[in-house]
Amino acid sequence: MDNRKPAKNKLLRRESRTAYLLLIPAIIGLVFITYIPLCAVLGLSLFKWEGVGPMTWNGLNNYVRLFTRDPYFIDSIKVTVLYALLSVAGCMVWSLSIALLLNRKIPARGFFRAVFYLPYVLPAMAVYIGWNWLYEANYGLFNYLLSRIGVTKIMFLGSTQAVIPSLAVIAVWLSGNLIVIFLAGLQNVPRVYHEAAEIDGANSWQRFWHVTMPSMSPIIFYNLLMSLITNMQVVTPALALTNGGPGNASCFMSYLMYIYAFRNSKFSYACAIAFVFFLLIAIFTVILFLTSKSWIFYEGGDER
Amino acid sequence: MKMKKLIALLLTILMALSLIACAKTDAPVTEDPAAGTEPQEPVTEPASGTAEKVEITYSFWGTPDEGASVQTVADKFNASQDRINVTVLAIPNEEYTTKLNTMAIAGELPDCGIMNENGVLDFAAKGLLADVSDMYAGSDSKPMDCITFKSNGTPVAYSAANEILFMYYNKAMFDAANLEYPSASEPMSWAEFITVAKALTLDANGLTPNDEGFDKNNIVQYGCVVDNWTWQLEVWALSNGGSWFTEDGSACTINDPAVAESIQMVADLYLVENVMPYYAGLGDEGIQRSIVAGNVAMATGGAWNVGTCLATARDENGLNYGVARLPYMKQEVTICTGGPQVVFSQSEHQAEAMEFIKWYMQEENSWDSLIATGIWMPILEKYYTDEELTHKWVDNPNFPSYDEYKAAVVDYAMECAKSTCWYYIPHTNEFITLLRSVLGPVWDGTVTAQEALDDNFNALNDVFLGN
Repeated sequence: MDNRKPAKNKLLRRESRTAYLLLIPAIIGLVFITYIPLCAVLGLSLFKWEGVGPMTWNGLNNYVRLFTRDPYFIDSIKVTVLYALLSVAGCMVWSLSIALLLNRKIPARGFFRAVFYLPYVLPAMAVYIGWNWLYEANYGLFNYLLSRIGVTKIMFLGSTQAVIPSLAVIAVWLSGNLIVIFLAGLQNVPRVYHEAAEIDGANSWQRFWHVTMPSMSPIIFYNLLMSLITNMQVVTPALALTNGGPGNASCFMSYLMYIYAFRNSKFSYACAIAFVFFLLIAIFTVILFLTSKSWIFYEGGDER
Repeated sequence: MKMKKLIALLLTILMALSLIACAKTDAPVTEDPAAGTEPQEPVTEPASGTAEKVEITYSFWGTPDEGASVQTVADKFNASQDRINVTVLAIPNEEYTTKLNTMAIAGELPDCGIMNENGVLDFAAKGLLADVSDMYAGSDSKPMDCITFKSNGTPVAYSAANEILFMYYNKAMFDAANLEYPSASEPMSWAEFITVAKALTLDANGLTPNDEGFDKNNIVQYGCVVDNWTWQLEVWALSNGGSWFTEDGSACTINDPAVAESIQMVADLYLVENVMPYYAGLGDEGIQRSIVAGNVAMATGGAWNVGTCLATARDENGLNYGVARLPYMKQEVTICTGGPQVVFSQSEHQAEAMEFIKWYMQEENSWDSLIATGIWMPILEKYYTDEELTHKWVDNPNFPSYDEYKAAVVDYAMECAKSTCWYYIPHTNEFITLLRSVLGPVWDGTVTAQEALDDNFNALNDVFLGN
């Protein structure tokens, strides 16, 4: 016994050394690509710097200006959060419904699965240009159909009220990846629970609500989190379709950051936006994690 | 275990190597490695065959195809002497300013290139442009004053082209409505313009806004488009007797009632008169989506459209278009603009770059690709005043008829063109972006132009002052 212990320890040490060695590449990546830039962003945001020329200490002035005088920033937070909420809610409901349908034994199931996944793999630019034609204010397909049934035209992308819902619809249409993850989750819901519930006389709605949903809750949480972060970081529609307009109605935070940094060369100011943006996403993520305990059901117990 | 360690070690090394590789900046692929080792002082005389050629890069906006055609022009220069070799760098137009900004910070600007007008004075203020004061010393080919960028009165860059705004119209639509073509020399007043536009606006039943039962939700042909792409709105402020800035550039007067009224009059073409399609002012809708698309009778746009889209539309789709002066609100005016060719101060070969730019800006060198095609208007006054040279320029198959273009464009440029604000006002890039955002709710009628401009005057003025 006594003479075996050091051998085991040695083995353990060697194993953990290997483990650390193998972790090095990932840690280097994380440190250099994530943590150092994050600190640099915070540092830079305290200066006044336009890319070329001197860098002068500016204290918290960038942040003060953001919240008091910036003509875009407050609107930008509002539209980003609104867009994220609308598209996350839309994506979740849509993807889960489609996944439930695709999980049934319907004819040509593989074909339909491919059809609903397809939007996700299309090039983003092509997707947005296509939707631009559908949404076009004067001659677009949707407005043509509306005019045929005698309804007033809708400025889908051209009016301050309609632009965010219109863009959220595109996000929902693009959410094929969530459908696939939901499908995988649905196929893992144990059949025995369904059978037991059926024997107890539960109808299909009750089975969905009391068996499928709890079993799916970890997957729903994962999708919710991923989808929230992705949609908060939205930038493509503003770049591809709306230039942040009309007014500030689609001036998403990522887009605003891009405009300040690369078009107006106000790098330190853009860094301040980036940092506020980081905090905002962190807050939403923390809220999600805190509430998650009360509604997620882990089959293996929730001691983690 | 040994194997695992080995793999881990390899991965680590690979990671480290890739990081180092990332940190290295990409040098222009075309650059000759030997060029870096050369002496840095400007080579002014050929060093008797022993010195290697100076490599310089020229950047411009365009597709790779256009890049190839500009490279052909540069190759002519390369062949004409044996000291300098020019390589063309084509950057997509939408990303051009962004790309130059980024390159400037990395200290990797090309030696010379064309620039977007709205960034010129900011680049000059940051000391990124080489001194142009002796660019045209002792030469008779100095570009016109109205297209010279000035910082506190000192020239900092010269435009490579002189582009003005005027009006294009579809002749077939005028014929169908039994209307006379707009005069090339006598512009319409705003009221006349609206009257004509109304007669040319048709719903699906062929009714105009003047008829009983006109269905404004079912318009198939619009009378006009006055492009509300933000910078072009400046011309209407001038036309209405106002101005975005005071003439000496000392103050911002964007919420002046005459300016607000001019913007409202443009917005009302859609909101009140029903003669213009709805544009949210978020892109240069311009001539492509109106005259070329074939659903609009009259549209305002820049001179470049003759070459960039209308010549093709006429030759391939039989579009019969004409040109006329802009309608006017109170006074007849248009604005002129054009991207300048500049030498960047970060260049180690400024003298050579300047030599190329001067060569390139001579009209005969950009003639075939840019001027004869109708994309650029010449920058030398003699082409506008000397009838023989005007003929050389305009009398070619890419243009509308000579008399029409001469009266509506050539003479118009001489008689009525004023410099666009970015020739003498700094921070116009940021200013125009903000103005676009401010005017967004004006186009759909949520607020009036005066309200929008008054509410946001402080923010706009902040940008103007550089705060």
